[in-house]
Amino acid sequence: MSVIDTVNNLLKIVSDGVAGLVEGILGPGLGADLITMGLGALVLCTIVALVFMGMTWAERKVVARIQNRVGPNQAGPFGLLQPIADGIKMFTKEDTTPASADRWVYNAAPLIIATFALVTFAVFPLAPGVVGTNLNIGVFFVIAVGSASTVAILMAGWGSNNKYSLLGAFRTVAQLVGYEVPMLLNVIPVILLAGSMGLADIVQRQTLADGNPGIPFILYLPLSALAFFIAGVAETGRSPFDLLEAESEIVAGFHVEYSGMKFALFMLGEYVNTLAVSIVFATLFLGGYAGPILPPYLWLALKTAGVFFVFMWLRGTLPRVRVDQLMSLNWKVLVPMSIVNIIAVMILAKLFVTSPGLQAANGGILVTPETQAAILFVANVAILLSGLAIVARRARVLRLAEEAEIESRREANRAAVSGFAGGAPAR
Amino acid sequence: MTISQVLFIVISLVVLGGGVMVVTARNLFHAALFLIVSFFGVTGLYVLLDAGFFAAAQFLVYIGAISILIIFAVMLTRGVQLAQPANSQWPAALVVSVIVFAIMALMLGPVAVTIGQRQFGSVSWPNVVEGQPAPAVPDDHLVRLGQSFVDFNQYGAAFLLTAVLILVAMVGAIWVARDRALKDVMEERAELAAEEAQEAMLAGPVQQPLPLAETRSAEAPAASVAHH
Repeated sequence: MSVIDTVNNLLKIVSDGVAGLVEGILGPGLGADLITMGLGALVLCTIVALVFMGMTWAERKVVARIQNRVGPNQAGPFGLLQPIADGIKMFTKEDTTPASADRWVYNAAPLIIATFALVTFAVFPLAPGVVGTNLNIGVFFVIAVGSASTVAILMAGWGSNNKYSLLGAFRTVAQLVGYEVPMLLNVIPVILLAGSMGLADIVQRQTLADGNPGIPFILYLPLSALAFFIAGVAETGRSPFDLLEAESEIVAGFHVEYSGMKFALFMLGEYVNTLAVSIVFATLFLGGYAGPILPPYLWLALKTAGVFFVFMWLRGTLPRVRVDQLMSLNWKVLVPMSIVNIIAVMILAKLFVTSPGLQAANGGILVTPETQAAILFVANVAILLSGLAIVARRARVLRLAEEAEIESRREANRAAVSGFAGGAPAR
Repeated sequence: MTISQVLFIVISLVVLGGGVMVVTARNLFHAALFLIVSFFGVTGLYVLLDAGFFAAAQFLVYIGAISILIIFAVMLTRGVQLAQPANSQWPAALVVSVIVFAIMALMLGPVAVTIGQRQFGSVSWPNVVEGQPAPAVPDDHLVRLGQSFVDFNQYGAAFLLTAVLILVAMVGAIWVARDRALKDVMEERAELAAEEAQEAMLAGPVQQPLPLAETRSAEAPAASVAHH
């Protein structure tokens, strides 16, 4: 095995080596399997927690740059030790509990949110053959487990017994439950094209092997990618959709009353969810670990970092949206467009097939994968543009109607006040 | 006892314990949370049955959506803290529960019972032989599930009917919400206009900051009143 192969398969070699070692000590059986799996989970969670520290640092630095500031620069070179200083601060802070809090609910909420944020990492393929558990329902699993954070946030908001917390929890539910719909709807075209819900299969479909063209799905489905990304930003409650913790409106939303490590667990949950959404986006639309020259795990890390950079970019640039804008963006723009997109992809993927076997079974026109990608790309862009045109036109009509109505009412009132209700005399 | 039997007992205890706590908890919010514990246990049962898709669906639908709905309903009620977990309807609820349990035990239980002409119970589960481990779940069970939903010889009609039912409910919900919202908007606008009229009356002839498209003819009478 050459050096390049060794580097490329580093994760696989290390994990197989550890599994072999454990089996050598304990002998093959359930005990060894359990210990290997436990070790894997421990290492994965630790790495994710370390990445979380790095993410907080990167976010503060990048947003500071965007806003013409310097960001953390005192602790260590480039402020690199800032997350460690923050961690020490969090550990030594007083752990307060409101006197009227619902103790069990209040204490359980941060644990639940952090646990379920970490659980999703069990199904992400980090490199070929390196995956916690290769579920055949991978995407569905990630989205299902992600919905648990809604319950935890409701528990935090209610358990704190604080009106700001409760308001934050209400906003959260409206937002998270609502944006789950476009998120799922935009995963469906990917599942249709890949023919599987398993994340490893979806990546396999985008790699340059086994007759696959190696085109990432973002080139097939730009509309789905865009809508999924917007829904992902809203699902993680980040700016510009950070209404659940809007500090200028409701102090800090659902975690007003939390301090010390419990607050840190909420932060962990938020960042780990963001990381999970970044990895899912990189896996579904950017080809996951697939890529030339560099080792697979490095490709996945690069793509994930790129997606996370866009998250930070949005946070540093955009102002917060209003609640009504949030709702109308979801229900009036994203959801209808996604449904139209699903129907279009269903029809086009059946009409233009890439494998002779499928053509023999279902009919259709045999095309190369590149042509199929081009057809779907054009269809996606057409749906996006026509959808935006309809939205813009509708918004204009509504605005004009509103202006006209206010105008006519003002006129009527003025006429009534001046005593010439029957109509003003001409000059 | 095998490991899956131990797991089954533990998970069943979670489901049943959660269920018992739901009906005995004095705080309605806690009752809703225990219901989530019970739902979570059911997710575990699906995992134990090698039905990953149903486990994820159970999690997404029951924990992610239905329990949220229930918690919202709880938050909107006035008496979250109850003196007594039971109200005056408990005998009726008891009767209904016993009947439902009896029917299910009769239908699914191992004992054959003959009522009148018909025989109930002693269900023969497909592919299960007594004393033998259950056959493994086939690899393509998800594909078969999906195909059975679109096949009209299997569950196609039921699937379509369910979809139509959900669509009707959605349209109904939108209609209810929309009607109310329009009315509110009209009332708000009426109030705004009334306020503006009052302000104009108080301010008298002093010129108000006018909207862009204000016509001149509307100003003229105000000015003439001031002259008198």
